[in-house]
This record gives sequence, C-alpha cells and structure tokens, in this order.
Amino acid sequence: MKKHGSLVLGVLLVLVLILTGSGCSKSKRSDGKLHLYNWTYYTPDEIVAKFKEETGIEIVIDHFASNEEMFAKIMAGGNHGYDIIFPSSDYTSIMITKGLLEEIDHSKIPNLSYIDPMVAEKAEYDPTFTYSVPYFMGSSGIAVNTARVPEDYERSWNIFADERMAGRMSLLDDMREVMGAALKHLGYSGNTKDPAELDEAMELIITTWKPNIVKFDSESFGKAFSRNEFFVVHSYPENVFAELSEESWSTIDFFIPEEGGMMYIDNMVIPKGARNIEAAHQFINFIHEPENYAIFLDDFSFPPTTNTGAKPFMENESFFFTSEDLVNSDNISDLGADLDLYNTRWQKIRYEH
Amino acid sequence: MKRPLNPRTREQLLGSLYGWPMGGWFTLFFTVPLAIIILYSFMKRGLYGGVEFTLTLNAYREMVNPSFAMVLVRTIWISVTATVLCLLIALPCAYAMARSKHQTLLLFLIIIPFWTNSLIRIYAWIFILSTEGLINSILIKIGLIDEGLKLIYNNGAVILVLVYMYLPFAILPLFTTIDKFDFSLLDAARDLGADKFTSLRKVMLPNIKSGVSTAFIFTFIPIFGAYTVPLLVGGKDSTMIGNIIVDQVSKTRNWPLASAFSMILTLVSLIGVFWMLYTGKREEQMKKDGPKRTPQALESTVKAHHRAASKGAR
Repeated sequence: MKKHGSLVLGVLLVLVLILTGSGCSKSKRSDGKLHLYNWTYYTPDEIVAKFKEETGIEIVIDHFASNEEMFAKIMAGGNHGYDIIFPSSDYTSIMITKGLLEEIDHSKIPNLSYIDPMVAEKAEYDPTFTYSVPYFMGSSGIAVNTARVPEDYERSWNIFADERMAGRMSLLDDMREVMGAALKHLGYSGNTKDPAELDEAMELIITTWKPNIVKFDSESFGKAFSRNEFFVVHSYPENVFAELSEESWSTIDFFIPEEGGMMYIDNMVIPKGARNIEAAHQFINFIHEPENYAIFLDDFSFPPTTNTGAKPFMENESFFFTSEDLVNSDNISDLGADLDLYNTRWQKIRYEH
Repeated sequence: MKRPLNPRTREQLLGSLYGWPMGGWFTLFFTVPLAIIILYSFMKRGLYGGVEFTLTLNAYREMVNPSFAMVLVRTIWISVTATVLCLLIALPCAYAMARSKHQTLLLFLIIIPFWTNSLIRIYAWIFILSTEGLINSILIKIGLIDEGLKLIYNNGAVILVLVYMYLPFAILPLFTTIDKFDFSLLDAARDLGADKFTSLRKVMLPNIKSGVSTAFIFTFIPIFGAYTVPLLVGGKDSTMIGNIIVDQVSKTRNWPLASAFSMILTLVSLIGVFWMLYTGKREEQMKKDGPKRTPQALESTVKAHHRAASKGAR
C-alpha cells in the first residue's frame, strides 16, 4: 500500500514535469521577428534600432560566449529558431561540412561588393561566400604599455623572450593563438599539421616565453593591463582598449608582429531551419551598408578591415591595426582530428613545465 | 466504504508523501545528471564536442599522463594546505564565538560576506594583492619596500583567497559543536593540573571531533573542485582539476575526459562523506562501549576524582 502510493505520486510528478517542459518549447511558426544568435556584446543597440526603423522588423538576440557553446547548443537541439548565427571561421567550415547551413542568395545582398577582397583571400573555408558572409575580420596582437617598458623593445613575437619585462607579460590562455604565434615566429603556417614544426614551437614557448610571463590569461588581461600589472599582453585589442580611457591610448602600442599572427573572421550564416530567411538576407545587406557598418565599427572602436566603403562614415580615426597588418597572418582554420597534435603539446606547455 | 487507517500506516503514508518532492528533485537534478556524467566518461569523444555512443576506457587512459598527474598533485597539496589553514583559523574563532555574549552578532558577521557575489570578492582581492595594489602601495608609502612585492598570480595567493572564501564553512560547524560543549569540564581539567592548552587539547578536542570532521569536509570538497580562484588569482602554474574540466569541455571539446575528471572529484567527495559518517558512527560506538571519553563519563570521572581528592585532604 505504502509503496504504491509513492509510486503513483512519483509518476505524476514526472508527468507534470514533462508536460510543463514541452509546453515551453517554441512554436514552429515564424513570428515575423528576426532571431539572431551572436557573441555577447557584438550587436550594437543602435543597429538593432535602426534596422527596425527602416524595415519594421524587430530583432531578438540570444548570446553565446564561445563557438563551442554555440555549436553544442545547435548540435544538441537543432536550430532553435535562429535566422542568423555568427560563428568564427573554423566553426563556419564545420557547419558547412556538416550541412547545417542554407546557401546565401547573392542577388539579395548587393552590398557584398563592399567586402574587402583580402577577406575573400583569407576565407579559404568559403572563398565565394556561398554559405557565409563575413561580419568582421580581426586579429589578436600584442599591446605594450610604452610608459613602463624600455624604449628599444622588439616589435615581434620575440618580445616575450625579453627578460627585462619578465613577470610583467601575459600570453592568451588559448591553444591556437599561442601555438600559432610561436609557429608564425618560426616561419611556419599557423595551421600546420607537421609534428616536427609543432615540437619546435612547443620548445620555443616552454624554454623562452613561458619563463618570462606571469600567466596564460584570456579572462582579465585587459583589466590587469589597465592597472599597470601587466606591461605586455598578448590580446585582442578591443578588450584592452575598452578598459582604458581614450586619453591614455597614446601610451599604448598595439601591433601585429610583422612575421604575422593568428587572425579570425567572424561570419553571418543562415542555419537550415531558419524561419525568416528573407529578413536574414535583409539584415546581412543592411549591416554591410557602409553607413551602418561604420556605426558597428565605431561602437567597438574596430578598424575598417572588412568593408571597404565604411571608412568615410566613421568617427573614430585611430585604428589599432589595418588590414595591411594582416597580410602575413593566418586565419585559424578547423583541423578536425589533427587538433590532437596541438592538444597534447598544449597540455605539456600549460600543465607540465 | 471508509475504514480509518491505523495511525501508524497513516503516518508512514504521509511521510512518503512529504518525502516525494525532495526525492523527486534529487533524482531529477542530481542522480540523473550524475549518471549521465558517469556514462559519458565511458564514451568515445565526438570530434566536435559531445560523445559517440561507443563504450571505451579512452578517457581514463588519457588521464594517465604526466601533465595531469602534476595538476592532480598540485590540486591535492593546495586543497590540503588551504583546508588545514581554514581549520587552524576557524578553531579559535569558533571557540571565541561560543564563549562570547554576542553570538548572534558574530554569526551575522560571518554570514554577511555570503551576500556578495564571490566573483566580486575575488576581484577585491586582486586589487588588494596587485603589484601596484593596496598592500604594496601602503608598504611603498611607509618606505618599507621600493618595488611592489609579487603577492598575486602565484599559488600562495590562490591558497590565501581560498582560505578567505571557505573560512565560514569551517567556522559554522565548529561553532555549533563547541557551543554544545560543557565548558565547566575545562575548569575541571585546570583544577586537576592541566595547563590551558593541554585542557583544550585533551578535553575539548576529543569532544568536538565530529565538528572538526564536518568542517574539514565542508571546506576540503569545494576547495578541491575550485575553478575561479586559481583562474583569476593564480599564475602560470596554478591550474587545478576544476580548470582542466572547464578546458576539456569548452576548449578541447573532450567531454568524456571532462566527465572522467568530474568522476575523480565525485569520488574524493564520496570518500570524504563516508569518512565523516564513519567518525560519527565511531563516536556513537565509543559512547556505547567505552564511557571514558564522553562528556558525561568525563564528568563522572572528574567528580569521582574530586571526591577522592577531598577525602584524601580530609
């Protein structure tokens, strides 16, 4: 008797949970709004408002903090009703090979003509923009607090070998970025699959770079740089400059070493199952209207690397870097199963020595 | 036809009724997720995250690796050091609180920091410990040093902040047990010739053992799984197991390996909990078998001793 009572109650509880759970899922019909799935802090409010004003279409945004998070969500539950997703190039190529994307209708996006030809050159994963349209091409680099380091510092990746700044430098806590930097410094491709080249890069990092850095930091390097804890940081420029007032920008030297570094292209893609494909094309064309693209760049103090028409409309005129600085850089590409060549070496770099 | 249930059956029924929400909650949000983690740790990794449903011991094989061994050893020594420090600081604090007239106020003060987000408290420590932060700028100003000391981004800073974060978890259980302790026993011990420290060690400590083991578990387990503290105030060699789990999920896309490491954390916690249960049981057992160590027994021994002593004096 006792056992039966509790069993019935338990079944009831589970049923209630299942019913309420299924009640929450989104309906399959389009609600006329445009659903974006973008990185946190990557969609200016002004753009959202202006798009609604011009087209009458409301934008709803969900955020993700990493490509892995976005991809896990899409793989686990299919497309959650998103019309545009903003993956980086490695994940764009994964999504293309997995057949997750709709083709882009170029006739609906005349503003594609503004895309810098260099972007197409770097976008080996989709050079014809069949499945993706570039959102922004950027790069990591090195920020130096010139007020606090000796004047004759080297403007190359070799700066991390400079013992005078020992204990005041940080490298990103990112396998592809750091190993890529070492590979580029040694004159190899940042996407190499050659174990000997990778070993050499690992040795360089372990023996000459790691002893001089305080830590591998991808979380708070901007804050540490701004309070004069770190003088030299391997970083994404927007994260560093966002922490500093514009007056202090003059003492900051941000550069992408001449030997080249690791760069990225963030894209806009339309996933299969999108409900508002028409509006998605409208948005992609809208953002690449030079006047609108300038708003996006100014909002994040980004340099005009991606859209050739935007520069005259921009308010900001001091750029951290230009597209010419990226000539020698390699776009981080998907390595598939060969990523383990990097994993094993990165473990040694991070945990063993 | 209604037949009144006998009160005992009724109570049992009601008991299982009341028990269901909690049982259901834990099954759904604790047991099931844990089972999924166990299952995942025996699966093959998916190339782009997730798992392939093939049984394999790969994840556990990958764990046997000098890099991870170093991290495991580091995690153990950081956790043990931080926990022992927590206990050493918490014992006198809890004792002082138990003897104080302002218990409510003191309890309140211990609990207040919990109202602030832990990240904010970690960032506060970053500003205190920075090379050009609070401590260093004061030391420079009063002329003790010329250049900032390296107080942050090393394992010392990790231990310091961990001790700060988990100290209340050690103080609270110790306080509750010490509060129940009969302090007249200490006076008795002093009467019998023990100095203050010996009386605390020989009379009080054995009586608050369960509190000490609870405090140990409450601090050791969360510290062993710490993630944000080593990430934010640690240096290049402060990685702990918690950080590896996050890296394996979000960077390396190796979910089975992350699950296998979570299994280690769970196992360590389990061992801790069993140890706590065991010491609790043993204490009960001791109360039954040997009356020597319980407060009552001690009291009667002391009384007997007093009687004997006063007789002798007469």
